[in-house]
Amino acid sequence: MANSTAIPEVFENLRLELRRGCLTLAVLTQLRTERYGYTLRKALADDGLEIDEGTLYPLLRRLESQGLLVSQWREEEKRNKRFYRLSPDGEKILRQLLEEWERINTSLGRILQEA
Amino acid sequence: MELLESYLKAVKRYLPRGQREDITAELSEELRSQIDAREVELGRSLLEREQMALFKAYGDPMVVARRYRQGGMSLSIGWELIGPEIFPMFLIILGLNTTIGVVVTIAILLYIHQPISAAALLRPAIIQLMCVTFTFTILNLVRRKFPQPWYYPPAALAPMIPIPRWVSVSGLVVWCGFTLWWAAIPAVPSLFLGSAAQYLELAPSWHRFYLALLLLLIAGIAQRAVNLKRPSWTALFPVSRLLINAIALGLQCPIIKSYPYILVADASNSPHARAMAANFNLGIFWGVLSWMWLYHLISAVIYAWYSAPHLRRLIDHLNRDTGLSHELKGIL
Repeated sequence: MANSTAIPEVFENLRLELRRGCLTLAVLTQLRTERYGYTLRKALADDGLEIDEGTLYPLLRRLESQGLLVSQWREEEKRNKRFYRLSPDGEKILRQLLEEWERINTSLGRILQEA
Repeated sequence: MELLESYLKAVKRYLPRGQREDITAELSEELRSQIDAREVELGRSLLEREQMALFKAYGDPMVVARRYRQGGMSLSIGWELIGPEIFPMFLIILGLNTTIGVVVTIAILLYIHQPISAAALLRPAIIQLMCVTFTFTILNLVRRKFPQPWYYPPAALAPMIPIPRWVSVSGLVVWCGFTLWWAAIPAVPSLFLGSAAQYLELAPSWHRFYLALLLLLIAGIAQRAVNLKRPSWTALFPVSRLLINAIALGLQCPIIKSYPYILVADASNSPHARAMAANFNLGIFWGVLSWMWLYHLISAVIYAWYSAPHLRRLIDHLNRDTGLSHELKGIL
């Protein structure tokens, strides 16, 4: 039998697992418009998806190294900022991911209705 | 923005070498944006403690850097022994220690005219591998179990970080033990001389430094006890240790001049006792005093570095209160 003290930890792990994929999708979607890290985080938070800096920046780097994002250092408001946006490959992958998301969402909706 | 720069410098140290500048620039921009947003919200500049709270929330520099090292090299045997953020440092220390161990072994073998065999060289390398791996495993474990904003904070941030109670408690245990031992030596010389106490005695020259060293040890206990009670008295820690190490450094000269430290007791003037006394004196001289001055010098420099922000803050405070001249601030 599962230890009841481990339940919150199990939930937390599953929640993080569920969130991880969603965050990637949300970040890619937001970066159809060029943004820098701080404004991207604000935009996600305004839409109800809080993401801490420690997760966002390494994620941006990973997506860039996978060729899904391109970045550019540029001066704005007298400060150098790194702007990110989707690369052409990123746009293709995002379209496929969104289709997949729609399929999963529809299926899950049906499963939840049946339950 | 001095605090921000110090924080970024602390993070930078643990970042992947090739990406350090780039990641630090981006972190800097993020933190500046957060500070700006908070300042707009409050309608004033952030106080140092408010900036500090922001960095604390952002995380320990090693933890922040770790996020950029996911997938980097680490040491695991089912569970993590050495995490990716300290693994590069582990390799450097291991390489350095092993090289020193092997070179010293070769030098000793040459000196005592013994053959240099692979087994003789492998031994120090294996010992170093075990010791360094064990040390870093403990370090990794402690950091995971007891996350702290900064274990070794940048000097500019140190004044705002309370002295952890476990640091004071562990220091008190070690220091009290050592002080009791030192205090008891005149009454019970065997604590220092072991079974040789029946043939040997402490030289009268001990009077020149014994009490001063005892007082320094008591000062060390007092600092730890006060910081245990008042962890927020952060200035006491570096300033008292700077003074203790500086005084101890100053004492090295009279201590060295006090040679010999151990004499043969009047009753037993045998060649064996004389040889033992000579061994003790050489042991104290080369085993302790030859490097002790360097230890105190390095410690004094480190604590001077950590005392400087406290002095600067004191001068700023005095400047505000009394309009003290700017020249003094410039000097520091």
